[in-house]
Amino acid sequence: MMEAFQEFISFFRLTEPNVRVVFWGSLILCASSGLVGTFTFLRKRSLIGDVISHSVLPGICLAFLIGNEKNLIVLITGASITGWISTYLIDVITAKSKIKTDTAIALVLSVFFGAGILLLTKIQHSGYGSQSGLDSFIFGSAAAMNFSDVKLFGIFGSLMISIVLIFYRGFLLISFDEDYAGAIGFPIRFLKFLLSVITVITVAMGVQSVGVVLMSALLITPAATARFWTHRVPLLAGLAMVFAGVSGILGSAISYTKAGMPTGPWIVVVVSFFAFFSVAFGSQKGIFPKWIRRRVNNKRILGENILKVFYKLSEGTESGYSLQELISSTPVKEADLMNGLRILQKNDLIGKANDKWFLSESGFREAKSVVRKHRLWELYLSKYMNLKADHVHDDAEGIEHVITAEIEKELEKLLDYPTVDPHDSEIPYE
Amino acid sequence: MIKEIKEPVIEVHNLTVVYDRKPAIWNIDFTLPKGQIIGVMGPNGSGKSTLLKAIMGVVNANTGWVKVAGEDIEGVRKRVSYVPQRQSVDWDFPATVWDVVAMGRFALKGVFKKLNADDRSVIEESLKKVNMYTFANRQISQLSGGQQQRAFLARALAQEADIYLMDEPFAGVDASTEEAIVQLLKQMKKEGKTLLVVHHDLHTAQNYFEWLVLLNTRLVASGPLTEVFDTALLEDTYGGTLTTLTKVAELLDKNDMPMRHK
Repeated sequence: MMEAFQEFISFFRLTEPNVRVVFWGSLILCASSGLVGTFTFLRKRSLIGDVISHSVLPGICLAFLIGNEKNLIVLITGASITGWISTYLIDVITAKSKIKTDTAIALVLSVFFGAGILLLTKIQHSGYGSQSGLDSFIFGSAAAMNFSDVKLFGIFGSLMISIVLIFYRGFLLISFDEDYAGAIGFPIRFLKFLLSVITVITVAMGVQSVGVVLMSALLITPAATARFWTHRVPLLAGLAMVFAGVSGILGSAISYTKAGMPTGPWIVVVVSFFAFFSVAFGSQKGIFPKWIRRRVNNKRILGENILKVFYKLSEGTESGYSLQELISSTPVKEADLMNGLRILQKNDLIGKANDKWFLSESGFREAKSVVRKHRLWELYLSKYMNLKADHVHDDAEGIEHVITAEIEKELEKLLDYPTVDPHDSEIPYE
Repeated sequence: MIKEIKEPVIEVHNLTVVYDRKPAIWNIDFTLPKGQIIGVMGPNGSGKSTLLKAIMGVVNANTGWVKVAGEDIEGVRKRVSYVPQRQSVDWDFPATVWDVVAMGRFALKGVFKKLNADDRSVIEESLKKVNMYTFANRQISQLSGGQQQRAFLARALAQEADIYLMDEPFAGVDASTEEAIVQLLKQMKKEGKTLLVVHHDLHTAQNYFEWLVLLNTRLVASGPLTEVFDTALLEDTYGGTLTTLTKVAELLDKNDMPMRHK
């Protein structure tokens, strides 16, 4: 265990030339697929990405059979051709027949992947000398990269990234509003074609490290993950590249450390970890930030409710109350009440003397404000929503915590600075 | 009732658009006057949106042609601004109101040219005209229906065009937005703009438009409101489709027959 960990760390010293190759190769491949995948994600074509990645397999096998050797350029070309045919087929099938997109996706994916597996099996049983490397395309093997491969990936990867940067505006607009893009004269057919070509090439390159089965995860997950952190496309694309690049390197490092481990699944494990983390903690719609907000709100509501109890008990006169008196005059549970009192005391809104709790000056002001908002809202409801006086209390119990200073002012003005609420209780002003 | 205009701002000649063998609009032929607020009305599925898209060249005409300001659309594209239906895009898309309105400048800048300070001030002005400037940095997913529509209108304004084609700008917006849009349209007309507006509410149509195009796959009428807003014509538009026409359209689809053959 310890040994594996040390080896994992030593990967990042990048001393061995072989490690450097794996490091840079994975980084370029994964980062460019994160970037290109951003637009696949934005155009809601995630499943098309899955089809492409499965459909490159027959292309790889055919290229191998024709070229009779494992030449990367030939393999990528073959992969790109069948990958592109598959997306083209889906578009044709959905446009020209009654078959819907989901069915077309299932049909094309299974036919191409099936054909790919058949060809792969044939190659493995026919005794080609160099066939052993070919099955690494199923689950990916970063370790199988050599220096000239990485050079090639470097050139292609930077080409893909440059194309996205150059045509960024076009890709953005066809992702958001294709009709409008056409209406202002953008060459949408060309842009869509270009985007699908670079997607196919990116996938064809990426299968080297991730494999055909899991490639779509590397295309889509980084962008979907980044969506939890931003609502601007440039940042989304940048974050997707970072998530994908880091996953690529970590995944490769793990699989490099443990001989025989496939790279793809490890990359997907890492990228999925980022995804789960973002679903939980992402600043945009993450679960945890939402939970925190709710907790903060609940605390505030509790505090304000307790202050109100004090105010109602006294209706203005300042005096202290025992815990027992407080408990009997509120539906708040004893444990919550104790908790709330403690927080209020910490904020100097209430004080305690001779076993009696009393409002501080600032607490009194705060309590008055809550009661004022409550009674203003009751009056607003009865006046503008024509509710009877005995129907407005429950609603105001909730809304009193929501009303901001501005809305309070608006209400006062709208109701012409009223003095009593619908139950003829006084509305306390400063 | 089809009234022809000399030197029309938009001329649609014998236009037919077929989707999946079914004609969406069939042999439409009309001319429209410059500088007016023109309503396009008809029941659901009567080809109103298709007509707008065909004028913009977003969908291809199967037969016929369209001329805008006497030219093919490609020559005058920059002067024509298109507002698609609000529901046609995904409002969860990661963008701010500013990002959306900035797209209006892409019409003049193309795919590559950078936006400069002038562009930014036009975007700002456009946002102010629809009362959305304070929302410039708001995520579009947080907008109400009315605010979404205003953002779309601001995008069209940012293009600084002369002719505006708007697809249902009043659909699903609150009363105050509807009123604001009407005021905006009237202001634009004063500045000499031509506005072609797809609309579905017959009650308000009389107050909004000066010219009306009635559509139900075929053209029912095109002319000044006073002449076209007529019970018989409206009944013709909304009451029933021409049953024979519908039957023929269904036959085309069912028997896989071409509409035109060479």
